[in-house]
Amino acid sequence: MLFAIFFSVQPLCGQSSSGDTINEGAKWRNWLILQAFPSLNWTIFPSQTNFALEWRATPVLYSWGMTKLDPPWHFFFVNPPERFAGSVELNVTGQIYPSSIGTTHFAWSGQLLGHLPLIEMGEYLGLNVGVATYRFNDSYSTFGVAGLSTLFGFVHWNTKYSPRDRIWMTSLEFRFF
Amino acid sequence: MSRIPTSTVLISAAFLIFGCGGSLFTRFISRAVEQDSTRMEYIPNKITHPLLPDVGLSILWIGHASVLIQIHDKVFLTDPVFERTVGMLSRRVVEAGIDPATLSHVDYILISHTHFDHLNYGSLSELPKQGKLLIPFGAAAYTPEFGFQETREMKPWEMFEEDGVRITAVPAQHFSGRYGFDIFWTDGEGYAGYVIQYKEKTVYFAGDTGYRDSLFTRIGERFRIDVALLPIAPLEPREFMSRVHLDPQRAVQAFAGLHAKLMIPIHHRTFSQGLESSVMQAQEELEKIVSDVRLQGKVYIMKIGEQKIVDE
Repeated sequence: MLFAIFFSVQPLCGQSSSGDTINEGAKWRNWLILQAFPSLNWTIFPSQTNFALEWRATPVLYSWGMTKLDPPWHFFFVNPPERFAGSVELNVTGQIYPSSIGTTHFAWSGQLLGHLPLIEMGEYLGLNVGVATYRFNDSYSTFGVAGLSTLFGFVHWNTKYSPRDRIWMTSLEFRFF
Repeated sequence: MSRIPTSTVLISAAFLIFGCGGSLFTRFISRAVEQDSTRMEYIPNKITHPLLPDVGLSILWIGHASVLIQIHDKVFLTDPVFERTVGMLSRRVVEAGIDPATLSHVDYILISHTHFDHLNYGSLSELPKQGKLLIPFGAAAYTPEFGFQETREMKPWEMFEEDGVRITAVPAQHFSGRYGFDIFWTDGEGYAGYVIQYKEKTVYFAGDTGYRDSLFTRIGERFRIDVALLPIAPLEPREFMSRVHLDPQRAVQAFAGLHAKLMIPIHHRTFSQGLESSVMQAQEELEKIVSDVRLQGKVYIMKIGEQKIVDE
């Protein structure tokens, strides 16, 4: 089915001959549009559960799963294999909570995540592990993170737990580059 | 509270993903679902010793664009796909012509581009690792480390030479990327064909390409091709596919421009790719053209799993 998506979308979008130049502006513009796509996040506090929309960016990622032809360091722009074939990344997120947490509707986080390939070099299934620090109002909570990624690294299901604050967080994340 | 944002997200996703494809997308989906419910055809008496002790030139069609080429002592493998599915869910119609475990060694693995049905991670993982992996320039961002002796990117017309083997990357008219969205920043690179030359034998592997007269005549002027491996599908919708794929008629035109001695069609019969009435449509069209313009002996239509000794 995904193959069908691929075949239906791609040839409509264009074709060219080997050697044509790439439009760098288009590359970043399209990357930016895809970053606007939010992830879904549920934060489970001892007393309430809040849904959030979450946006994320990857300031830096180190990939060790690619050939030496591909540079290991990536800044903001990450092709999916560079992440799912084996990498560690620092990403930052911002959340909007439609129902407030305390006095705020916003939260921020910094996350250090490792991605380990499980099936098909991680393209079909990968393991995510790491730590995350979230800021809600004026307080910080630190979480351990574990989860899985699938569907070419586009879909991540991550669960986070803060033992100190007894907060669970589960998120369905969409990662496009 | 969460229902409205979630549906908004899903609608946005649908627009984002399907916006380009429109109703054509639903036709592809229906075809993919139909195909997924069909039973895969097994190959009786599969070849278990595909590498021959002494041969001038042999061609074994594994299916789709996967071809095992042996020229004397050197073994070349194009776009290896042995798995039952590509792109996670698209299933083979016919099983792979050989088992990868039967390949004791492969000297050169040639990848034409980064699409799922050509750069197949699982299949590359299964191959012996003493060979070299050649990929088109721009494909490195899609190529994990498989442990091959060397991985090398090649620009159009760039040559790789060693041990009497010369492999030249040649241009193609196609498109790159892997996930749909990435076409916008990968187009113009990441796809190629290859010309293999060794001991007076020349094989052209076109990869995936549309038709452009000058493309094939240029290659034909530069090389004296013994065997041209040319894609003939997907076909339908014709106008849509012809921009980036050869149909049988265009493949025969390309063959004429190449001045090759023998054409072997590839990239058909293996997966249900387009909206053809059946996976046999491209082959049937080619058979008719071959008969109409009397190309018997110049075009050889292989069965999946068949090995043709072109030169003893």
